[in-house]
Amino acid sequence: MIKTSRRSLLATALAAPAILSWPARAQARTIKIALLTPLSGPLARSGELERTGATLAVEDVNAAGGIKAMGGAKLELTVADAGASVEQVTAAAQRLVADQDLVAGMGAWASSFTLAATEVSERAKLPWVTLSWADSITNRGFRYLIATSPPSSQILLAALQPLLALAGKSAGRMPSTIAMINDDTAVNQSNMVPLRNGGLEKLNLKSVMDENFTPPLSDATPLIQRLRRAKPDLVLLGTTATSDSRLLLQTLTEFGMGQGKVPVLAPSANWGTPEILKNLGANNLEGVIGVAGNWGSKQQKPLIDNLCHRSGEPWLVQDTLSNYGHVLLIADALERAGSADRDKLMEALLATDTKEGPAKLFLGGHLSFEKNGRRANPVAGVFQWKNGVPQTVLPEADAFAELTWPRPA
Amino acid sequence: MSFADHLESLLQILSAGLLLGCLYGLMCAGLGLIFGIMRVINFAQGEFMMLAMYAGLNGVAFLAPGRAWAFPVAMAVALAVALLFYGIGAATHFLLVSRVSGSRVVGSEDGGHTGQLILTLGLSLVLQNGGLMLFGSSPTSIGNAAADNSWTVGPLWGEDVMIFVNQARAWSAILALVAVGLTILMMNRTGVGRRLRAVASNPVAAVYMGVDVERAFRTAFGIGLALTAIAGVCVATFYPFQPYTGFDFVIIMYAGVVLGGMGSVGGAFLGGLVIGLVQQLSTLVLAPQLQNTAVFVVFLAVLLVRPQGLFGRGVERA
Repeated sequence: MIKTSRRSLLATALAAPAILSWPARAQARTIKIALLTPLSGPLARSGELERTGATLAVEDVNAAGGIKAMGGAKLELTVADAGASVEQVTAAAQRLVADQDLVAGMGAWASSFTLAATEVSERAKLPWVTLSWADSITNRGFRYLIATSPPSSQILLAALQPLLALAGKSAGRMPSTIAMINDDTAVNQSNMVPLRNGGLEKLNLKSVMDENFTPPLSDATPLIQRLRRAKPDLVLLGTTATSDSRLLLQTLTEFGMGQGKVPVLAPSANWGTPEILKNLGANNLEGVIGVAGNWGSKQQKPLIDNLCHRSGEPWLVQDTLSNYGHVLLIADALERAGSADRDKLMEALLATDTKEGPAKLFLGGHLSFEKNGRRANPVAGVFQWKNGVPQTVLPEADAFAELTWPRPA
Repeated sequence: MSFADHLESLLQILSAGLLLGCLYGLMCAGLGLIFGIMRVINFAQGEFMMLAMYAGLNGVAFLAPGRAWAFPVAMAVALAVALLFYGIGAATHFLLVSRVSGSRVVGSEDGGHTGQLILTLGLSLVLQNGGLMLFGSSPTSIGNAAADNSWTVGPLWGEDVMIFVNQARAWSAILALVAVGLTILMMNRTGVGRRLRAVASNPVAAVYMGVDVERAFRTAFGIGLALTAIAGVCVATFYPFQPYTGFDFVIIMYAGVVLGGMGSVGGAFLGGLVIGLVQQLSTLVLAPQLQNTAVFVVFLAVLLVRPQGLFGRGVERA
C-alpha cells in the first residue's frame, strides 16, 4: 500500500498548476495579424484574391516552423470584410483595432479604402502594410504604415516611357496623341497627376481627351463616342471595377477600335484578372497593356506555379502576390524584432533591407523602405495580354515575354 | 468640334439612350405592375433580377451553344427564365408577401407598408448575400458574339458620320418592347388583365364581384418578376454582373416608376425610357460623372411640375 503523507499531498497540490500548465507553456503562442479587404460588394473578387495570398503565406510560414525568434510562434490570420464603402471600411477597421492582441494589419485594396483604414490603424499605433498606390497614402506623415507598391506618380510613367520608345521602333512613328478615360477613384486620379502636370509634354504627347466617370458605368457609349471623334494614337483606361473595364473595351471593339487597332494602356491590376478574360475573350484582350504595382516574375516561376496550384488560380495577380509577400514581410520583421510589440515590429519593418525571403515576391527583388513607409526604388509590373495570358513584359529581368506594340488582329 | 462631330455624337448617344431606355423601361414595367396592383414597394426587385441573370447565364452554359449562337439561345432562355420567375414570384407572394399585404393588412394603420418594407429589404439582403455564397464575387456575363458586334449605319453625312448599333442591345430592346406590348395587351384585352385591373382599382369591390384578390395579387407579383427577369437576362448579355448588381438597377427602377406615374405599366415603361435617354443625352453637355445627377435633377423637376408623374393621369392605372 502506498503511504501518502500530508506533506507530500500538499507538495503535489502546490506543484499541480505548474505541471498542468506545462504543455501550454511548451506550446508556442500565436501572433495575430489581420487582413482588411472587400469581401462583399462590387470589389469582393479583389478581396478574395488578397485573402488567398495572405492565407497561403500564413500556411507556409507556420509549416516552416513559425516565428523562430519567438519560440516558433504561429501566425494567426484574422480576415475582416471592408465592404463596399469608405464608411464600412472605417467601421471594420475600428472593430479590428479593438483587438489588443493584433500585432499588424494589411489591406484594404482600393486606395480610398486604405486611406480610411489607415486613419484608424495609425491612431491605434498598429503597423499596417498595404499594396495601395495612391501617393496620398504615404504623404500624410504616418508612422505605422508600409506601402510596397510604387506610388501613382511613378507607375504610369514606368510603362509609358518604354512603350513610347518601342512604338518609335516598332510602329515606325511615335504616338503623338493620347485619350485618357479614368474612373474618379483615388488611385486613378492620383495616377493622372504627373501626366496632367507636365508629364505628357515631357513625353511629347498631346491629350485629345481627358474624361472621368463615376463607377459603375451603365453604358460606355458616350465615352467611346468622344474617343472615336478624338482619334487618339494611344488610349489610357484607368478603371477599378472589372465591369467598367469590360464595358469600355467591349464598346471600343464595337466601334471598330478594339483588338489592337488603337493601343490600350490600362494602369490597374483588374485588367489582368482571369474574370476579364472570361468576360471578354482572348481576342479582344490581345495586345492590351496593363500596369500594376506588382506582377509575376519569371525568376520566381516555381513559387508562382506552386501558389497557382494551391489556390486554383490560372495565374497570380498583384493582389495575391503582394499579400503573400506582405505576410512574409511581417514574419521577417517579427523574426528580427523578436517581439510582438507593435513599436518594435514597426521599427523592424522600416529597417527591412533584403533581397531574400519577402523581397522575392516583389518585382525588383529588393525590399527596403523610406522614412514615410513607401518602398525605396519600387518597380512597377507591366503586363501584356498574349494568347489569353497577361504576361509580365517589364522589367525585362522578370519578363515572361517581350513587350510588343499592339497591331490590328 | 465640327458639325459632323456634333451630329454623330447626338445620333449615337440618342440611339444608345433608346436601346438602354427600353431595358430600363422593361425593368420599371415589372416593378410598376407590382406596385400598381398590390401597392407593395418591392425593394428586392433588383435582387430577383440578379438571380434571373445567373439563371440565364447557367441556362446558356447548360445548352452550350458556343459564342456565335449564345445570343439567340440567351433570348430563348430569357423566356424560360421569365416562366421560372413567374413561379418564383407567385411562391414568394404566397409564402411571404401575402403575410404583409392584401387582406392581412386591411384596416392596419400604415396599410402594411412597414412590414412590406422590412420584408422586402430583408429579402434583398438575404438574396444578395446568398448570391455571394452561391455564385461567388467574380463579375461574369453571358459571353456572346452579338455583344462585341454592331451594325454600322451610314455614312450619313459626308464620309465620316456613322452610328454603331450594338447587336445585343438592339435585339434586347426589341424583346423588351414586345414583352411590354404583350403585357399591356394582356392587361387590357384578357380576363386576367380585367381581374388585375379590378383589384388594382378597388380590391373590396373586386371581392364582391367574385374576384379572388389574393390570387390576382399572386399573379401580379409573378408577372412583375417575370418582366424584370427578361430584362435581367437581356442585360446579362452585355453587362458584367455579380451578386450586388441588383442594387445598381433598383434605384433606376424606382426613379422610372415614379417618373412615369405610379400604378401604370405603360407609364413605368416610358419612365424607364426617359431615364435611359436623359442618362445618355446628359453626356453631350455634362461630364459623364454627372450622368446620374442629371437623371435625378430631371426626376425632381418633373415631380415639381407633375407630382403624379409624367403619365400618371394620361395612362389608365395598371
